Amino acid sequence: MRNLILSRLLAFALTLLVASSILFVAINVVPGSAARSALGIDATPQALARFEALHGLDRPLVVQYADWLGRTFTGDFGKSFQNGVDVGPELLRRIPVTLELAILAFLIANVIAIPLGAFAAMRHQRIPDKSISFIATLLGAMPNFWLATLLVMVLTLRFRLLPPGGYTPFFDNPILNLKQMIMPALSLGIVSSALLIRIMRTAMIEVLSSDYIRTARAKGAQERVVMLRHAVRNALAPYVNVAAVEFGFLFGSVVIIEDIFLLPGIGSFVLVGIINRDYPVLLASALTITLVVLIINFIVDIAVGLIDPRRVTRHR
Amino acid sequence: MSAVARKSFNWRRWRLVVTGGAIVGVILFLAVFAPVISPYSPIDLDVTQMLRGPSAAHLLGTDELGRDVLSRVIHAARLSMMVAILASLIGLVFGTIIGTLAAYFGGAVDLVLMRLMEILFSFPAILLAIVLMASLGTSILNAMIAIGIIFIPGFARLARASAESVLRQQYVEQARAIGMSHFRIVTREILPNIVAPLLVEAAVAFSYAVLLESALSFLGLGAQPPDPSWGNMLNTGRGFMAQAPWLSLAPGAAIFLTVLGFNMLGDGLRDAFDPHLRDE
Amino acid sequence: MSEPRPHARNRERPALAIRGLTVDFKRRGGDLRAVDQVSLDVWPKEIVGVIGESGSGKTMTALSAMRLLPYGAKVSGTIELGGRDILSLDEAGMRGLRGDRIVLIPQDALQALNPTMPVGRQVGEPYEFHRKLSWRRAAEKVIDLLRAVKIADPEIRAREYPHQFSGGMQQRAMIATGLALDPELIIADEPTTALDVTVQARILKLLREIRDQRGSAIMFITHELGIVAELCDWVYVMNGGRVVEDGPVARIFGAPRADYTRMLLAATPSIHKRKERPR
Repeated sequence: MRNLILSRLLAFALTLLVASSILFVAINVVPGSAARSALGIDATPQALARFEALHGLDRPLVVQYADWLGRTFTGDFGKSFQNGVDVGPELLRRIPVTLELAILAFLIANVIAIPLGAFAAMRHQRIPDKSISFIATLLGAMPNFWLATLLVMVLTLRFRLLPPGGYTPFFDNPILNLKQMIMPALSLGIVSSALLIRIMRTAMIEVLSSDYIRTARAKGAQERVVMLRHAVRNALAPYVNVAAVEFGFLFGSVVIIEDIFLLPGIGSFVLVGIINRDYPVLLASALTITLVVLIINFIVDIAVGLIDPRRVTRHR
Repeated sequence: MSAVARKSFNWRRWRLVVTGGAIVGVILFLAVFAPVISPYSPIDLDVTQMLRGPSAAHLLGTDELGRDVLSRVIHAARLSMMVAILASLIGLVFGTIIGTLAAYFGGAVDLVLMRLMEILFSFPAILLAIVLMASLGTSILNAMIAIGIIFIPGFARLARASAESVLRQQYVEQARAIGMSHFRIVTREILPNIVAPLLVEAAVAFSYAVLLESALSFLGLGAQPPDPSWGNMLNTGRGFMAQAPWLSLAPGAAIFLTVLGFNMLGDGLRDAFDPHLRDE
Repeated sequence: MSEPRPHARNRERPALAIRGLTVDFKRRGGDLRAVDQVSLDVWPKEIVGVIGESGSGKTMTALSAMRLLPYGAKVSGTIELGGRDILSLDEAGMRGLRGDRIVLIPQDALQALNPTMPVGRQVGEPYEFHRKLSWRRAAEKVIDLLRAVKIADPEIRAREYPHQFSGGMQQRAMIATGLALDPELIIADEPTTALDVTVQARILKLLREIRDQRGSAIMFITHELGIVAELCDWVYVMNGGRVVEDGPVARIFGAPRADYTRMLLAATPSIHKRKERPR
């Protein structure tokens, strides 16, 4: 078991290293000099040169990378090209926003998917199953930024229920915070639920055809007990596996949603970095998002590896 | 128990493919014949007709510069299809090459290639797309390349898995035994047999490409004005949500329908190719 | 059926009485008849063997008695369990009987056990469902049950998971579950098919003891004639959804009347039987 964790950890570190170098190379190849973007169109060549020297942009790429790697390890994420502010603290301030969004969206997705998927499986091939599957197909085809727009049109413009954007920290004003978060979370969560409904449905169908379900009924169990204790519980194992990976995808989609709803999270920070050619900002935020996704995948890998040995023997 | 033979063509099995195919067919038709079908030019301004709602003259209304929304939507279909096709092609071709090579040569080649694919695969797609666009510069061509790159790992994985199962078959051993060159073996024996799952994957890739391209354009990183893309139309439409909701509804619905169509096609093909034992 | 049936002597009615049972399944091309006008009795303390090849309808007959047929089955005929009309009961009523008065011991014990739940908990479920005991209080009874089916160290085993049990132990656990509430009828659906011969013998011995000590009626479904010869009192031979013939085990094996029975016996190498008379 220790070997499993160690080898996965090594793979994780390696992946992180390669991923970060890919990001670093991609970003530092950005055309349209960062210097020009920071100093403006009228900047003199000398000012540009001074900027580049100051930020070490005239050095070979490998050197820049090594330097950046070293600094990042010590927690120094550099300073923004735009305003010279430390990137690190700003990043930390933005993480809770994205986390709240991702977690809420994920919760919504699961709250929708688990019951619907299970129910569809219980009524396999009958009308409820076909309707739920159809709805899942529709939801999965929805662009989340369009859903966001529709939600704003209905809930903000038409019914004046929710604010169109902005962010107040949860502990400052919980109600307002939730009002601001609900539409972004719905946009992400509803689209994610489409895939999860299918996964839960498939897992349940598989489980429901198992002998132990018939055995539970043969013992005189009520349907509710059969479903919850025997069926759903066993279906959750493969489900959680996929759901966790989906959480990773969700995390990547926050970029657009944060932009639409003006949420000051890491996603919008990425866009800030791109628009301003602010390398340190872009690099740090893109890397953070990737890191979170990699961590999630790592945890899932380990978890699957741990659960497996228990169910190893004599599988059909 | 006696089995019952099925006599008529099983429409049920192909239902998804047919529906999806119909939708896709319409979109492709619009894309190909865009200049002919569009009632107006997508970039012609008409300041007297700004922000008009749907009417007989303008079936989907006009936008903030008086341009006909319907025409723009149709031309945007052309853009989306071009990007989707080229990006999927890039992903398919390079992914298949990498995956097949990895499966064929095995060992270190396999390890290195697939590790690389895995790492690429672990990036959230939209994020990678955005970063690549920033890296390459915003243009339609770069959007195709960026999305294509994102697809490569998926195709590579699939190609490798399919190629692996083919490689275990007898006829590859025989081909090697009679001294066929590597290249011949790959092209004659392996490739034809992995086409089916790759095609299914391609259909799904199409829909994802449309989604990604729209997302990029929405963020201003794809097609640039005045070129119409469903994504950038949606973006400008957001500014006029209250006065001109049709500006947001039309392009969004277009994306939705296109993605739906390709998804159905892909799902339908996958179901049709799999032996379906669950029919009760 | 004029042959004397020892277990019916001095009894009012059979533990299980099936009359004219027909089960149809809706299929796209036309209905599929799995069970065709089957009549079958099991008397208290009797071990009845139901033999036939796969697809002969024996499992469907058993499942009909438990009302556990798959969705889409059409059932007609009558089934009485100790005088109760099974087919006209509502689901809640039937639920009360399942696991309490009539139990099923399935073929593959490993598949029949929930892999993510401790065995003890599963064995104790009948107490939970029918006697409303919490599983902590049922725990003691579970340990007694496991001991009764000769599982060593029952206290430890009860906490373990199915995959930690051997094949024979898993089947014993299933039997234990069936025994919990002293049912009137035990239906054993090929319970030893997945086990090797020595384990098989012990399970059969266990079933015989259960019949002797607790007085349950047992309906033993199998395709293995050797087991029937050794264990059963009365035999029903099924083919194509119908009962081809039935009778005391000695007579069936010694002087089979139906062609099908003869064919079955001829196909099995190791049964004592009379040589077939040339026609």
